[in-house]
Amino acid sequence: MNSVIMPIVILLPIFCGALVPVLPFKSRRQMEFYIETAVILNSVLVVCMLFHRPDEVFTMFRLTGNLSISFRLDDLGTVFAAIVSLLWPLASLYAFEYMQHEGHEKVFFMFYTMTYGITLGIALSDDILTMYCFYEMLTLITLPLIMHTLSRNAILASRTYLYYSLGGAAFAFIGMIFILIYGDNSQFIPGGVLNLVKIGNKGNTLLLVYVLCFMGFSVKTAMWPFGAWLPKAGVAPTPVTALLHAVAVVKAGAFAVIRVTYYSFGTEFLKGTWAQNVLMVFVIFTIVYGCSRALKETHFKRRLAYSTMSNLSYILFGVVLMSPAGLVGALSHMIFHAVMKISSFFCAGAVICKTEKNYIHELDGLGRKMPVVFTVFTISGLALMGVPGLPGFISKWNLAKAAVLDGGTLAVIGMGALLVSALLTAIYMMTISVRAFFPGKNFNYQKLEGVKEPGIQMLFPLLVFVAAMFVFGLHSQPVISALTDLAAFVK
Amino acid sequence: MSLILLSVFLPTVSGILLVVSSFWEHLKAGTATEKRKKGILKRLHLYVGIILIFTALLALAAAWTGEREITLFYLMKDIPIYFKVDNLGRFFVTFVSIVWVLAGIYSFTYMKHEREEKRFFGCYLLVYGILIALDFSGNLVTFYLFYELMTLASVPLVMHSGMRESIMAGLKYLFYSMCGAYMGLFGIFFLYRYCDTLSFVEGGSLNAALVSGNEKLLMIAVFSMLIGFGAKAGMFPLHAWLPTAHPVAPSPASAVLSGVIVKSGVLAMIRVVFYVAGAEFVRGTWIQTAWMILSLITVFMGSMLAYREKVFKKRLAYSTVSQVSYILFGLSLLQPQAMTGALLHTVFHAFIKCGLFLTAGIFIFCCGKNRVEELKGIGRKMPKTLWCFTFASLALIGIPPASGFVSKWHLAQGALGAPVGILRYIGPAVLLVSALLTAGYLLPIVMNGFFPGTDFDEKKAGNAELKEAPAGMLIPLMILAGLSLLLGIFPSPLTEFVSRIAETLM
Repeated sequence: MNSVIMPIVILLPIFCGALVPVLPFKSRRQMEFYIETAVILNSVLVVCMLFHRPDEVFTMFRLTGNLSISFRLDDLGTVFAAIVSLLWPLASLYAFEYMQHEGHEKVFFMFYTMTYGITLGIALSDDILTMYCFYEMLTLITLPLIMHTLSRNAILASRTYLYYSLGGAAFAFIGMIFILIYGDNSQFIPGGVLNLVKIGNKGNTLLLVYVLCFMGFSVKTAMWPFGAWLPKAGVAPTPVTALLHAVAVVKAGAFAVIRVTYYSFGTEFLKGTWAQNVLMVFVIFTIVYGCSRALKETHFKRRLAYSTMSNLSYILFGVVLMSPAGLVGALSHMIFHAVMKISSFFCAGAVICKTEKNYIHELDGLGRKMPVVFTVFTISGLALMGVPGLPGFISKWNLAKAAVLDGGTLAVIGMGALLVSALLTAIYMMTISVRAFFPGKNFNYQKLEGVKEPGIQMLFPLLVFVAAMFVFGLHSQPVISALTDLAAFVK
Repeated sequence: MSLILLSVFLPTVSGILLVVSSFWEHLKAGTATEKRKKGILKRLHLYVGIILIFTALLALAAAWTGEREITLFYLMKDIPIYFKVDNLGRFFVTFVSIVWVLAGIYSFTYMKHEREEKRFFGCYLLVYGILIALDFSGNLVTFYLFYELMTLASVPLVMHSGMRESIMAGLKYLFYSMCGAYMGLFGIFFLYRYCDTLSFVEGGSLNAALVSGNEKLLMIAVFSMLIGFGAKAGMFPLHAWLPTAHPVAPSPASAVLSGVIVKSGVLAMIRVVFYVAGAEFVRGTWIQTAWMILSLITVFMGSMLAYREKVFKKRLAYSTVSQVSYILFGLSLLQPQAMTGALLHTVFHAFIKCGLFLTAGIFIFCCGKNRVEELKGIGRKMPKTLWCFTFASLALIGIPPASGFVSKWHLAQGALGAPVGILRYIGPAVLLVSALLTAGYLLPIVMNGFFPGTDFDEKKAGNAELKEAPAGMLIPLMILAGLSLLLGIFPSPLTEFVSRIAETLM
């Protein structure tokens, strides 16, 4: 396929999104139809592009010298673009029904649709500069989405988000500069681009820079101690928390980390160094920390946000193992976590939308009124716990396999942390399901009079996710084989 | 379609259907009339009864008609979901089926005084299907899959009454079991790397070349599996959930939880030690010593706690803690005769404990008595029930010719013949003391029940109106009590069968 397709799929949602507030829609229906058509069209284009990959690089324009904004589609980009493009239409569909109770829909859908293009931009970036640009744009474009309700909390949350993200990006910037200076070029090349001759005896400095750069990008993945923005950002409407703060934005962070680790600095240079160990400690700590905070949290969506924090560090754990098996584990969790977490967020959103209940102790007895929603929630909870037959088990298995193959003390401790976190996950997810289905013997169901299941626009995505979970959980081999081929370059 | 799959799918699918239909019922709650509800109940019982008996027949047919194996599908390239019928599986599936059907028939009557029968029977069938799959599992991952599912599907049984106490107990059960399961998973991750295959091979499949140099790590892994799977079997230190969770469930559920589901922890340990890691790897190491000591502590502690406990079903639950660790002690000796005793005790204890819990259920159902001292003089009004209880108690204590004697004999003989240092004497001594305690916590109930003393006033005790239990509850109980006696009088076919299993594993 011609490489011009790449800027098209990035710009199409941006234009279509920007047009939402100016087009004279006669009714809600028309607007929904317009947005959904644009998003589906774009997703179809992306999927076609993924199956017939353009080989050449497409250069948008040159900045100066050999710095340019250019796109290329490689294996890793394929994975991320596939996740994003398959989830976006479903999330938009869900948002139509959900946003009825929030208001200001036009503005919301403008930014929401534009984010799609920017996220694809990150997936398709050919070099570190392009990725950095889109990364910053992602921060800015999602800011109004967090601010959406314009309540005091929302404004504070968006401010926190802005500070954390820009701060993180500044550290990432340092990394970028060093890559530009000490690398052969700035492109993403499997195995890294560092030139050992240029580095000379500055190895330790470069490792420090790598650690800073890793931490900078991992602000978006909410690694401890940079994760405070994520639970706060839970004030945003649920389609945002579900799609952006469980998938697109946070996984853009993980994606960027994978890019700099495996495609810029290169594992040959990093493996076995102190940098790897330091990062491993941070990651392992976050795995347990996120879960423990989730356990303590009584706000429904914030609990899920802390759970995201912990689960993203599963991905980072796979990344810092710096082995083929580790990368397979990381990417498989990146894919599977997307499905599991978005569906549990959508369930939370359905509850909030239909009952205005935000705290977990208010959920008593809802399972009887909304059986589909809570069954889906229970299944995604089981998947997150890693019950075999569901996808969480597969990614956990791959991560643990990588850790055992690595054999180092930290790796084994990390594996233990995965299991501790699985237990904590069981506690914080299952207590919700039990509350909903077993409210106690003398519970007065009259209080829940009038509570109903959400409509088809919200249920359909949920059912698709459940189906996807079972398919991935029972038959994951195609995905895992593809990821294994992808990771074969790692030494 | 393969018999194995059929016997797994039939109860699981029909169980899930029942659970879903119970949801459906809630959504349009309050429309059915009394009469219609009765009709629904009758049809429900018929449906559940037919499925139960069909499943049991299918499972037994699958077990006893030749060698069978089937690979269902691949979870990942190297992880098949694989079922295989071997002797151990046959043995387990047989007693599970007997207990499950009997307790099922009993619950048709018993569950009349609880609500939400559809959900109960749905989960009941579901757990049965999962247990059959568990017994036929041919490799560790398949086993783990059904082990987790079993926990999840049995939690609603514990929580059934919906009281705060039982919901809390259900959560405790869930979290202890999950903790155990994840410790098991920790071990599985390591064994996957160091074994040739995760399929169950008699004598284990550790790869000696890979293992050498990593013994320490691997031992920690195996030990963590023992502790983890020991949670289900109520082994110290992860035993605390058992006395909380078993008594709060409806009685037939407590009966199968205590009689059968705890045994899946035993099965897990047998599979790990004898079919994956291999007895030779464990023999003479610190793991074996620790395992023995932990199980002996549990035996003693369980009996002591049961002795002090006044709530009837709680007392029985503590007794389970103690009795299952008899089995674990027998396994930990890694000696054929002790293992024979352990396997015998597995099946005997299943029948006995199920019978005891069903008795407790009858007392609750007929007169609402759940404390031991309230049972004074009950034998005058309900002699058949109390006689069944007496037989089962005698069997549990191990008085010849009842069944418990046979298994304990083999256990003690095995212990004396095993090269385990001082523990070969301590072990039988602990078993003996615990048997005395067992007598101490079971027989007073019988004595006070039959001989309440001359100054006993029936009216005051509220016994005046009491009648014998309905036949639907009494018959399953009689069968179980009869089995626990008869198997002690004619033990040889069973003993031969299990000793063959034990011989092939050492």
